[in-house]
Amino acid sequence: MSKKIYVLAAIVLALMFLTPFLGIIPIHWQTIFKSNPSSFVFWQLRVPRTILGFVAGSILALSGLVCQNLFKNDLATPDLLGISSGAAAGAVLALKFNLLVSFIGFGGLILFSYLGALSSVFFVLLISRMVRNSSLYTFLMCGVALNFFYSALIVFFQYLFDFSNTFSLLRWLMGGISVVGYREIAFLGMLLFIFLFFVFLFKQEFLLASAGDHFAQSRGLHVARFRIYSFLGLAFIVGAVVSICGPIGFIALIVPHVARIWGQSNFHETVILSLLLGGGFLVLADFFARILMPPVEVPVGIITSLFGAPFFLILIISKLKKVE
Amino acid sequence: MIKAAHVSYQIGNKSILQNVDFSLNENDFLLIFGPNGAGKSTILKLMAGILTTKQGGIFIGRKNILLCSKKELATHVAYLPQFDEFNLPMLVKDILLSGRYPYGSLFKKYSRRDYELFDKTVERFELADFVDRNMLTLSGGERKKVLLASAFIQDVPLILLDEPLNFLDPSSAIQVVKMLKEMHEQGKTILLVSHLIQYFFPIANKMLALKNGQTQYFGEKRFSASLFHDIYQVSVKRLMIDSKEIIYIHE
Repeated sequence: MSKKIYVLAAIVLALMFLTPFLGIIPIHWQTIFKSNPSSFVFWQLRVPRTILGFVAGSILALSGLVCQNLFKNDLATPDLLGISSGAAAGAVLALKFNLLVSFIGFGGLILFSYLGALSSVFFVLLISRMVRNSSLYTFLMCGVALNFFYSALIVFFQYLFDFSNTFSLLRWLMGGISVVGYREIAFLGMLLFIFLFFVFLFKQEFLLASAGDHFAQSRGLHVARFRIYSFLGLAFIVGAVVSICGPIGFIALIVPHVARIWGQSNFHETVILSLLLGGGFLVLADFFARILMPPVEVPVGIITSLFGAPFFLILIISKLKKVE
Repeated sequence: MIKAAHVSYQIGNKSILQNVDFSLNENDFLLIFGPNGAGKSTILKLMAGILTTKQGGIFIGRKNILLCSKKELATHVAYLPQFDEFNLPMLVKDILLSGRYPYGSLFKKYSRRDYELFDKTVERFELADFVDRNMLTLSGGERKKVLLASAFIQDVPLILLDEPLNFLDPSSAIQVVKMLKEMHEQGKTILLVSHLIQYFFPIANKMLALKNGQTQYFGEKRFSASLFHDIYQVSVKRLMIDSKEIIYIHE
């Protein structure tokens, strides 16, 4: 482990300790253990938000890293498989038809968007199963088609039905990590641990898969099978994040890039850096989402993309300049 | 013993290989040559288990490779594809160690012996300066050397190579040929596809000439100007200088 990681970990930790105290209503540290409105805001609103921000951000960043390895392309994200648009379509269904079911404490919105996320990967796998010798290209094409299909479905339902739920839907589509309880956090936290465990367990497989199919096969890895199982696992994990927080753009794309540059292609360091950077970035973005235009809260998905896109461009340009 | 028994392969209606049949002994060095589209890469991919066919079979010892798991096969055969597809940064160290992947289990990837082999290989092929470098920053020649060394670390009896000298400058090409020679002397069986007969004819001991998916010649290496002419429509000549075989293409 290099020094960078410790420094970054310290910064992220400090960020996570500080941000719950700051906001439109600053909270004094002496009040948080007393029973008063401030301590309620602190423990029930801001702390869970910060933790969720970290967990969701790091899962998204890791998923991007894994996707880039599996697709052998540094622009790949789980969105390519239609996970986000599937989740969004599920959310639309839940909102429009007022599906108020709940399952072990999770509401209809989360449930249906989770199912939507899983459905997309289910379709991708089904189609690639029908083709003998399915390649990465098959996955990619399925994902693109599904993305279009789900987007059309979302707009169609929007158009067809009344506009009563349009605002909450729009809000969901912009991504946000505001209204959650500790149950969701525990769930995502568990997923993050499982995710990390598998990433380290299959480190060698991920490296081989990113080196090329023939190379990996000649080293004894059944790449096609490994890729399918990984996609399935990704859908379960990323689908959970998207169904709880909405599609939060850019983290999966941008963070692994930075992590790879800083981690100097060392796998362990790149993974840890992705985790810290992704988590830290979302915590920070959410903090800005809270304080930028009070009392309105800007959806965090807007912030991540708004700041992420230019940063990403600057990064790419400076990288290309170095090559010249 | 490695055997390809009456192997045919089609893509759609197009026949790529027809009834290719050969067998090799341990420590043979087989040079496979033939014009573009003759099916050279296909036979190599079939032997590596990357493509499969039901017409005919590939046998290692007595076992049909279709019955081997990918991992088991990788303890018998190493395959270096013609084009490597590295798009993402990866450390040379990790590439080299990946040669030991087929021997690991889910929870214990590498043993002490794996690291010993790693050290030995790095020393033998003088790769110490490379191990911490990123694969993407290497030149074509350096990359090929690393890949070849990783096949060596894989410690398998049979090595398959597809045009290993593609895009290499003469000095890198000669280094790669030297590495191959050394591996052959170590007792490896080598199957190599290349047009560059001038490099490989002198060190091979068997040869397989393919054209339109059919075997034109298989057997002990022998210089035959008419065979080369049949295959490539150019005249190939041989010179002996200081008891060294020099093959060249003469227009």
